[in-house]
Amino acid sequence: MKQNEKILHIPKIDLGIVIDHIPAGQGIKILEIISKYEEMKDVVVSLGLNYESAKLGKKDLIKLQMEYLSPEIIQHISIMVPGVTIKAIKNYKVHSKVVVQPPKEIKSLLLCKNPNCITNTEKHVPTLFRTTDAEGKKVKCNYCERIFDLHELETVV
Amino acid sequence: MRKDLISMEDLEKNEIQEYLTMAEKVEAMPLEERVKLLPGRIMAAMFFEPSTRTRLSFESAMHRLGGSVIGFAAKDATSVAKGESFTDTIHTVESYSDILVIRHPGEGTARLAAQESYLPVINAGDGANQHPTQTLLDLYTIRKDLGKIEGLKVAFVGDLKYSRTVHSLIRALMKFNVTDFTLVAPETLRLPEYFMHSDEPGRFRFHETERIEVAIQECDVLYMTRIQRERFPDLVEYEKVKDSYVLTAEMLSEAKDHLRVLHPLPRVNEIAYDVDNTKFAGYFPQARNGVIMRQAILLKHLGVTL
Repeated sequence: MKQNEKILHIPKIDLGIVIDHIPAGQGIKILEIISKYEEMKDVVVSLGLNYESAKLGKKDLIKLQMEYLSPEIIQHISIMVPGVTIKAIKNYKVHSKVVVQPPKEIKSLLLCKNPNCITNTEKHVPTLFRTTDAEGKKVKCNYCERIFDLHELETVV
Repeated sequence: MRKDLISMEDLEKNEIQEYLTMAEKVEAMPLEERVKLLPGRIMAAMFFEPSTRTRLSFESAMHRLGGSVIGFAAKDATSVAKGESFTDTIHTVESYSDILVIRHPGEGTARLAAQESYLPVINAGDGANQHPTQTLLDLYTIRKDLGKIEGLKVAFVGDLKYSRTVHSLIRALMKFNVTDFTLVAPETLRLPEYFMHSDEPGRFRFHETERIEVAIQECDVLYMTRIQRERFPDLVEYEKVKDSYVLTAEMLSEAKDHLRVLHPLPRVNEIAYDVDNTKFAGYFPQARNGVIMRQAILLKHLGVTL
């Protein structure tokens, strides 16, 4: 069976968002991220796992029946699972697509792990981190200037 | 020009040099001329934690420029004690003054204040993070005493793990092409590894030793630090290392003629009093330079050119 025929196993959408090229096993992780956002509560979501992929060997795929994915959610996905493709579908066709890369600046998402950082006492101050390496695995707090591994930081949502 | 002075990490070498040049001009100026530079200007000294020399040297600096000072020296004396947020305190005090000098135990506080306020903000120490005015006065002292910074051999002694002064000065010296560092510290207080990394592998040499004698013989600057009791969660650990290094006049007999012993002060017992009377002792002039450098900083950030 060809790859395209397999993809048809989850419903085609005339209008929506497809998150493609998710490394196999990471689809659940993206689903977890999405489910944290209130605005996604009533959105119809289809998740496909372990499709064959020329590029990745195996991949996961998510379809969202909604018109617009917020920049906050895209930022969140790009940090946790960089390299996925996010496509906007209109009339069953790809209208636009973007390969998301870890951002240079991460706003209002990560919590600083340094208990003495001012963002942990002045809770109304939005956090801001900047990546310090090309892969985006290390981030520096704009305030206390400490450097952390991205994966050790918790998120606000 | 930058509105604020928050972190040495923000400054390029040429910006650091501008502060040094400004301090030179200030020092060359007679006191009776200096006092005419900032009449009617008000500095708010917002010290949320205790400090003696930083606060007093800033206050002295402003008074001797003809300006005046308002402020507080402990957070118990402010509305913060009543539950006011830091940002609200900033917005209130900014309407009373022309420049904010802030010391706070929370790391990143000065950066936050700078974002919140339209006034220039000077970081006078934010927790264990940054203390840029100390670093600038250290650089000024080194250049004044030894005629240059580039190419000097600098040794750091004592608490190299927790001392923000050391961290900040090492970074700044690297910008000035100081490539040869000797680090003298007990095992538990060594300089964190990441400070020794650079984008140019092999350019900088960090020689780690537990023997202070090695540093004395080889270096041009011997930067002593206090083992900071307040940084130790376990006082038993503090007791083990507190007297690791005590510099005495006798130990300096092997030193280069022009060696300068510096210390950010306060000292506890890491420099014996008999060192004070040797030609090597540079720490009290260093403290005096604090007023000059802080005058340069106040002038620069209040838009005065000399």
